[in-house]
Formats: sequence, structure tokens, C-alpha cells
Amino acid sequence: MPLITRRGFLITGSALAGTALVAAIGGVGFLATVDVEGLHGGAVDGEDAKLNAFVMLRNDGHVVINVPRTEMGQGIHTGLAMLVAEELDIPFDERIEVVFPTEAHPSYSTWSNVLQVRPEEASGPVAWIGRRVLGQMGFIATGASGSTMGLWHPMRVAGAAARQMLVAAAAARLGVPASELTTAEGLVHHEPTGRRIAYAELAAAAALLPPPDAPTLKPRSAWGLIGRSQRRVDLPAKVRGEPVFGMDVVLPDMLHATIRHAPVFGAGVAAIRNEAALRAEPGVVDVAIIDGRHVAILAQSWWQAERAAWRLDVEWTPTEADGENSAALAARLEAALGSEAPHGHIDDGDVEAALAAPGARLVEADYGVPFVTHACMEPMNATAILNEDGSAEIWAPTQNRVTMQAGVGRGMGWADARPGEVTLHVTMNGGAFGRRSDQDVIAEAAYLAARHRGRAVKVMWSREEDIGRGLYRSQAAGRLRAALGTDGLPLAYDARVAAQSILNAMGSRNMPFTPGPDGDYLTVEGLDKLHYSIPNRRMRSQHVPTHVPIHFWRSNGFSFNTFFSESFIDECALAAGADPLEYRRRLLVDSPRHLAVLERVAEMAGWGRPLAPGRGRGIAIEECYRSIVAQVAEVSVAEDGELTVDRVFCAIDVGTVINPDAVVAQMEGGIIFGVTSALMSTITIQDGAVRQSNFHDYPMQRMANAPAIEVAIMQSDLPPGGAGEPGIVPVAAAIANAIHAATGRRLRTLPLATTETTGVRRVRTLLATQA
Amino acid sequence: MVDFTLNGRPVSLDGLDDKPLLWVLREDLGTLGPKYGCGVAQCGACRVLIDGQSTPSCVTLAGSLQGAEIVTVEGLADPEGRLSYLQQAWLDEQVPQCGFCQPGFLIAATDLLSRNPSPTDDEIDEAITNICRCGTYPRIRRAIHRAAAARPVA
Repeated sequence: MPLITRRGFLITGSALAGTALVAAIGGVGFLATVDVEGLHGGAVDGEDAKLNAFVMLRNDGHVVINVPRTEMGQGIHTGLAMLVAEELDIPFDERIEVVFPTEAHPSYSTWSNVLQVRPEEASGPVAWIGRRVLGQMGFIATGASGSTMGLWHPMRVAGAAARQMLVAAAAARLGVPASELTTAEGLVHHEPTGRRIAYAELAAAAALLPPPDAPTLKPRSAWGLIGRSQRRVDLPAKVRGEPVFGMDVVLPDMLHATIRHAPVFGAGVAAIRNEAALRAEPGVVDVAIIDGRHVAILAQSWWQAERAAWRLDVEWTPTEADGENSAALAARLEAALGSEAPHGHIDDGDVEAALAAPGARLVEADYGVPFVTHACMEPMNATAILNEDGSAEIWAPTQNRVTMQAGVGRGMGWADARPGEVTLHVTMNGGAFGRRSDQDVIAEAAYLAARHRGRAVKVMWSREEDIGRGLYRSQAAGRLRAALGTDGLPLAYDARVAAQSILNAMGSRNMPFTPGPDGDYLTVEGLDKLHYSIPNRRMRSQHVPTHVPIHFWRSNGFSFNTFFSESFIDECALAAGADPLEYRRRLLVDSPRHLAVLERVAEMAGWGRPLAPGRGRGIAIEECYRSIVAQVAEVSVAEDGELTVDRVFCAIDVGTVINPDAVVAQMEGGIIFGVTSALMSTITIQDGAVRQSNFHDYPMQRMANAPAIEVAIMQSDLPPGGAGEPGIVPVAAAIANAIHAATGRRLRTLPLATTETTGVRRVRTLLATQA
Repeated sequence: MVDFTLNGRPVSLDGLDDKPLLWVLREDLGTLGPKYGCGVAQCGACRVLIDGQSTPSCVTLAGSLQGAEIVTVEGLADPEGRLSYLQQAWLDEQVPQCGFCQPGFLIAATDLLSRNPSPTDDEIDEAITNICRCGTYPRIRRAIHRAAAARPVA
């Protein structure tokens, strides 16, 4: 029975029945009391008055806003704080302090991401159980471009509730009806008498009042902050080098550890051949085998640990994957595309009949992408301590508090330790991109902390471990077919993808149950093209397991499927003799919101204006994360084959925009991230191991040759969609389509270029020579 | 024994000659602005100014620094804490995303502007070779131009 549908984890069948049974036996009463909105529990503690789970006022006029989502560069601490500030009527300035709370209040839960619903629209027993049960579990995660969607309503409600409590406190103090009071700039104002009271003076009294049952939210017309770019709250510290990333956690008497993982995934440690010599290295305190699989070297400093690790001589156990290589893995994908038993996701109309119709004009193409990795600038790390009293504390840059918690239990379990109270600290993240939702490095730190009880241990991976022994986006292959009608538009669209299931792989390492593999919506997202009017449509997937550990990677299935599907639509357009923009216009007749985005980007790019020889434009559009994003890439291919992405134009409909400049930044960053993987990124498997190890052989887009980028945000009154991932999604297809326009060559495999390093850290990209 | 200055303060090190400056800064001197990103002078997150020149500290041994003046991102603001022109431009252009690599970019750009008060785009490309995985390059370019325009001519 599938636990996963296209709409996410549906807790179906026996899981739901089991949950319902537990609830029926006695949980209903308890669950009903869970404070899912976080509006209760106001309290005064010294100079701080906590009004609800999101808002605390200090008597110096500062406002602490709890933002239970990880800041990993996307600006979420600013955007979500703006929602509270909007409703609370406080100025958005340096008096706002954003904190990632250590407490896991049920109202912080990411349950709505999991159920793929907006909280304000969720109803029914699944939503009731989801928000209460997942809320109790401390399920707090940052990902799937869902933080704004998930907290758009709750954080405004929290701000509005706090404001109403402050007004009520002012009314009591002044002896006037609350209806005569207004608020602005952190003050309650009684207009008839001209009296004003600062929030800070009212906070203690307000905190002890009952929260309003249904706080009134401002109408859109009254917004002063939402939709107006605000400076990010985290940047003043970031230009001074002050923020504390996981790597910067320093504790007294701390030990430092570096790790060596097996080169071939799945191997274990057979023997450390030179343990005694390593223990004699300067500063080395311990050499440990973690879970039979990894070797840790602990020293007084990380530098000492890492230097000793260079001399580590390990015999790894043999595995069945010792002979694996990229060519064989790619052949397995290819074979899977012809498999007789794929998982079906969509089967509308009669695709087979349309493809087999006499006179049908067929278009067919195969596409592929390699394994890639995240390469967050801050290497993986975590710091843990198991205190003598049995309590534990951990600091980590993580996207996922719940896997962090599980990782502590798992790692300490390897040392037969069961921590009592566990305090989790989520630090600033130096990039994340999906990578920091695995418990791997957290479990390692927890084990070593349990092994050295009473001492803090900071584990940090070298860059070589991150790139060469880490976690990866799956390789994938797509086979797309269409039958074009007499008007040139597809009568039938048939899309297949073969890849390793992301949820299955991620879940097998991190979750108490393993979802999928079949039906994993992350494997097929970007393939359905539901916004295009096509009468017959089929979409199928095949899970192809490998020994390579697969993980979330910014935009997941869209990162390959949209490359496949939007390249393919271009091929259909060209087969029909149509302009790719005009062709998409005709396919979007029933999708006005998409069409508007397409028209906007075409206008920005000057689509149709002639370009010099060797240059070309390509277009692509996708709906993802409840947003619609379209891009036009302009490329140049020189005589010697050098490929440059000169400009990328991007239009996005992200629904209601909170902080426009942050959306622009996410588009810019997403495009650069997408250009790197489109042009440069390949993880190669040889003898079971990853060949790449650092930025010299896993290159990144740098300043030189980075495209100029123009972004336009569509006006919309719809609720907010996601912005963290859409920027990447159309880039690769837009570039491939532009290369075709420039050269007449259709490249169907990423990366689209080969790289060569010239001079000092200068990367040149040369058009790939694909069959 | 090595003596140098770090952000204007005198420092004496003993027995750390063969330790890279990055780890001396981070582990022995508590200066956490410079970051470890690759360890092989590829990414630039560890860059510091050594006698005014932007240098990857991960491959610079402390023993080579006798008498040097070292400035990290923490030393870019003036002693009263006022941001440098470049840091201010970084804020005005809202450059950082995750911010992890930004200390290295600020150092590299500080060096560039000290040598070339008004660099062209090509000169920026030539000088700024750091990696930012969040993709802040367009804003870094704008911030450098903004700082160049804002700085009074000496």
C-alpha cells in the first residue's frame, strides 16, 4: 500500500487506522487540548513578557520574534518576522530580534508541508490529526519552499492576537473602550485624549490576558510592510563576520573530530592498520569506529585531527558495489525506461491509441542527468555533549529538527547511552539545499559525545568527505513521446522517468518507516505538464536503486524532469515548425496565470528580436511549489566551442509577495545554482566510489561568466507560494533550448558543457559533444 | 616564535609554525570570521589580508608571517565599529544570503579596491575568484561598483 501520493505523505490505510485507533482509545481528549495556534501560555519572566509562542516583548522596547524555521540564506527570518510586525504594528527596525526557538511548541510544526496543504485551508480528520500529532512530535523542518506557505497565516494571527492583547491592556489602564484605541509604530493611541502608551509599558499586563478567540487580520489594503522590500535582519551581522554557523560553535574543553567514511558506499571498517601510530600523532585523543562504518579521529584541534587522518590506513570491507561505475549505472536507467512494470501516476485519455493512430506525427526523445551533490559552502558539522547528569545538548546547522532529534538518539544509542533531556540548538546554516535534513553528521557527533561523556565534541567533515563520501541527487533518465495533431500541438503526451526514489532513500536513513519507492511524487514532479492543454496524457516512473545514497537536493525531481519536459516541448514546437514561445502560448490557452508569466518573460527578453550569429534564446516555464516561473536564457557559443550564458530573464508569480527583494535574491541565486548544474556538475562513480573530491574537480559557477539576471515579480492577490526553489527549475531547459537556437544542436544530457580551468580558478565551459 | 598583528593587535605564537593561518585564527586566536570551505585555496572563504593582499589563509603557514599585518573580516570596520565603504555597500545591495562565504568576498573586494579604486567588470571578474554557492555574484558586482562610487577620492 503506498504511503506516498503526488500530494505528499497521505497517512492512509493502516497508518491512519492505527493513529485513529490510538486516538479513539484515549488520545482524543488530550489531542484536543494541544495549542495548535500557539496563542496561549502568555507569561512574564523578569523583563520579558511572552504574549504567545511567537511574540515576546522586552521592557527596553525590543521585540523578540520566534521564527521556527532555519535561516540558510533564503531570508526566511526576515520574511516571517515581517508577518508578525505587520499585524503587531511595530516598526521593522533593529529593535526586532529574530530567534530560532529551542522549545518545540506544537504551533511550530511543519505539518502543513507534509500534507501539502495551506494551514488556513486544511480541514477534516487528517488535518486535525496532522497538526496535533505532528505538532506533538516536534516535527519542525525547513524545506520544500514551504516555510512562508506554512506560516503565512499562523504568524499573522500571532501578531494580531498580541496586538489585541496590548490594546485590551491599554483599555483597562486608561479606562476607555478598546474600540477607541488605535495602534501604530509600537504604540497604543487614544485619539480623543491624545494619550499614547508604548507597547513595552503594557506588555506585562497584556501577557496575562487571555488571547482573543479569533484575532482579526488586517485587510490587504491596510498592509504597510507586506509587499514592500525590507532589509534582512541577519545581514548586519553577516557583513561583520559575526553570525554563529555550526562551524563556529565553541564550547569549553571541546574535542574536535574529523571523519573518514568508506569510499564505496555501504562498506564497513575491517581494520585500522595504523591505529597506534595515529594515537601518537600530536594532539590526537582518540580513534573511534562509528557504527562499524566510519572512522573518527578526535584531537585537541580539528587541524590536528585532520592532519592525522591524512595518514589513516583503513581496510574497508568488500561490497557488491565495488565494481560499479557510471556507465553501468546509466545503462541500468536506460533499461528501466523500457521496463514492463513502471509505476503509473497519470493515465488520462488513450495515449496508446493516439500514438498508434495512422498518420500520427511522432516526436520521441531520451534525456539524462548525472548524480550531483549539494556542496554547501559550510561543510557538514555538528557539536554535541552528553552531560554527566544524562542530559544532552546539541548544536547544528540543520533544516530538520526532527531528524536532528532522531540523530541524537541514534548516535548515542551506538554507545548504549540513552540521553535524558535533549536540548537542540539550530545554528545559522552556511547553505543547505536539502542536504541538512539528514541525521548523518548529527548521529556521528552524538556517538562521539556519548563516548566522551562530559566533554563537548565538534564533528566536522572535510570538503573531500562532503563531495566524495556524502549524499547526492539521483541520476535520472527520461523518455518522452508525443503525437502531434494536424495543428502541430500534442494530441498525446507520454512521459517516463527512471531514477532512484528520493523519499525512499531519504526515509530509509532517517525515518521510522520507509516510504515508496513506487509513487514517490518527488521522482515525477516536473513531468506532468498539467498546465498544457493536451487531451491524452500519461506519466510513469521507475525506481532504480543503486548503492549511492540519494537525498533531497534543491528542487528535487524538477531539477531533472523540467529539463526533460521543457526541452521536449521545444522539440515538439520545432517539429511542428512553430516558434517555441508561440507554441507554448497555444498550449496555455486554459491556463491564464501561466500565460501571463510567459508573456512577461518574453517581453522582458525581447523575444523575437534578432541576435548575432552564434547566439540564441531559449524559453521554459514550470509550475512548482504553488508558484509559476518562466525564464528566457540567452547564450553565446564561440567558434572554439566556448559556451556562455550571457543573460537570464525570469518572471515569477509567487502569489502574494512578502519581501520582494528576497524573492528577487532567491531567483538570482537559484538561477546561478541551476547554471552550475546545467553546465558543470557531474558526480562520477568509478570502482564503486565517487571520483570527485573538491572544487577543482567539482567546479562551481564563479563571478566571471556568471549571467546577468533580470527578475520580474507578477502582481497577485493569491496566497503566497514558494520561492526558494523555483528559480532553479527552468534554467537547464532554457539553456539547452537556447543552445539549439544558437547552433542547431540539441543537447539532451546534463551537463551541457565540459569545463576546463584556466589561469587561477577561472573556469571555461565548452559546449559538450553529445551524440 | 612568530609575531604579527591581527586586526591591529599584536600577537605572538609559539610552536605553531607549521599550522595554517586559518586554523590558528579559528582555533588559537578565536577569530571565527574566516571560514573553512575547501582547504585547498579554491573557494576563498578563508581569505584574509596579509600586508594588504588578499590571501587564502588555509594554505598559508603561520611560520611565514613574522612581522605581517593581518586583517580579517572582523577588522574591516573602524575601531568605533563603523562599517567600511564596502561593508556598507554590501548592506545597501543586500548581498549575503547564507553569508558563510561573504567574509572572503569582502576581503577580496577590499584588496581589489585598494589597488584599483574604480574597477571595470572585467577587472572584477579577474580579481574576485571566490565561490558563493547561494549565487550572490550579481549583487557582489553591484556592491563593488557602489562602494567604488561612494568612496571619497583620496
